[in-house]
Amino acid sequence: MGLSLLGNRTFHRVRDTSRRALIPPAWVISLAVIFIAWESISLLGFVSANELPPLHDVLIALVQLVGTPTFLQRVGQSFLNVAAGILLAVAIVMPLALLVGSRRQLDEAITPIIMLIGALPDLAILTLLVSFVGRGNVVAIAIAGFSAFFPTYFTIRQGVKEIPTDYFHVASVFNAGRTQTFTKLVLPSIFPNLLTGLRLSFEFSWNVLLAVEIIASVAGIGSFISTALGSAAHSITFGLAAIMTVGLITIAIDRALFERLENKIKRWRY
Amino acid sequence: MHVELSNVTKVYSDPPQIITALQDISFQVNRGEFLCIVGPSGCGKSTLLRMIAGLDRPSSGQIRFKGDLVTSPHPKISMVFQTFALLPWRTVTENVEFGLEIKGLSKKERRAISQELLEMVGLKETANLYPKQLSGGMRQRVGIARALAVDPEVVLMDEAFSAIDEFTAEALREEVAEIHAETQKTFLLVTHNLPEAIELADRILVLSARPAKVKSIVSIEIERPRNPTRSEFVSIHRDIFSLLQAELESSIMRHRLSELKELQSLRDLER
Repeated sequence: MGLSLLGNRTFHRVRDTSRRALIPPAWVISLAVIFIAWESISLLGFVSANELPPLHDVLIALVQLVGTPTFLQRVGQSFLNVAAGILLAVAIVMPLALLVGSRRQLDEAITPIIMLIGALPDLAILTLLVSFVGRGNVVAIAIAGFSAFFPTYFTIRQGVKEIPTDYFHVASVFNAGRTQTFTKLVLPSIFPNLLTGLRLSFEFSWNVLLAVEIIASVAGIGSFISTALGSAAHSITFGLAAIMTVGLITIAIDRALFERLENKIKRWRY
Repeated sequence: MHVELSNVTKVYSDPPQIITALQDISFQVNRGEFLCIVGPSGCGKSTLLRMIAGLDRPSSGQIRFKGDLVTSPHPKISMVFQTFALLPWRTVTENVEFGLEIKGLSKKERRAISQELLEMVGLKETANLYPKQLSGGMRQRVGIARALAVDPEVVLMDEAFSAIDEFTAEALREEVAEIHAETQKTFLLVTHNLPEAIELADRILVLSARPAKVKSIVSIEIERPRNPTRSEFVSIHRDIFSLLQAELESSIMRHRLSELKELQSLRDLER
């Protein structure tokens, strides 16, 4: 990836690798600085190891956690809840946003209401939902879906609105039917917006989910962290390790899935 | 008659106003003819073309293609757009193949046709590029190739050269003239560029200002390729230009008169 940006000329590549060998990437340096700072704070006794365990302990705990089946199961559960919530949201949003995006009057009737609902605090609704639906995965999925609803709704709606009229003329002139117009024209047109919506949703619902799991007592990472942080002193290490795992998973999925798809779009987008 | 319009009228209602864009337009296009439609801007030329394409319907009157009433897009009538309207996520090849894909042709059949057409418009090397990597002129070549790919009998061109720089546009016009001569398809070009119309057309349809009526149909019998500095070219240009100018002036006059009337009624109200 980095190489292709620098062009194909050999002398460029040669010069670049030699420079790279001397200086590590900037983020490695910042990570090292953080590591040293954290270590010295707890090792030099500014803060007791009970309150802030040294970073190397946390990292060891992280490695241990990753090898623990029950923890992995909880990570998997949380991830499935987020994924199910987003899918649920998209399934509802897609037809709605398509309709609203193509009909102005409908848009004027529906969108303000949706904005109003969107302004309600997710977590307050959550407590309501728990008293209605009860606890468990259903609530987690519902609330993940709720927080995924708004980013996808507004991005897809915008995408539909931005489709040039001439694209539809092209479809008509070449006698495309409704289904073909949707699959060959509308869907690819809104794909970049859909992707942005999903990316935002993923971040939103992931954050909300951890809180949900604590309140609705779902066996996911959120509850794992809360019990770890709440119990005996040494478990803070595991709590921190679990928090880091969540962060790492978020970054990994963002890079592996969304970043890659976005790069694909960049190839053709004006 | 290949394409025939009889008493085509288009009315828009924009309450409380009713706007007549086109009024009683009747003309015929022969098979293999190159007809250019010119008229003052905003007179409804493009609407007329869209109706022939089946994208819009006349308020009254009829449009026939080979005798059949046109009410929706006909597979043998194809179109080139002013904005090119290429689908940006498709490569050049995939754009050219769009109509063929809809028709349900196999990949092999599509490739054969698109390659032939890309060669014809000189874009063989860019077959795998995306529209954003092409210049305006190249994009319109793709648009033309896409329109021809479905083997139409009528090619509609809506201001097809007006979004391209003049040098490229001139080259492209020459190519279109060649394609017309080779394929003997019927071409209808809407344009506000009079020399362009004279360069390409067998006949020029001159529309009046809104509500647009057929002002005149001028046959161009200058030998091809046409040189805009030749005296016949210049004199036809002068004739049509004065027609259009008269139209423009009368429309401005009408406009002013109506404004005056409005002013008068306002004054009446004040009293």
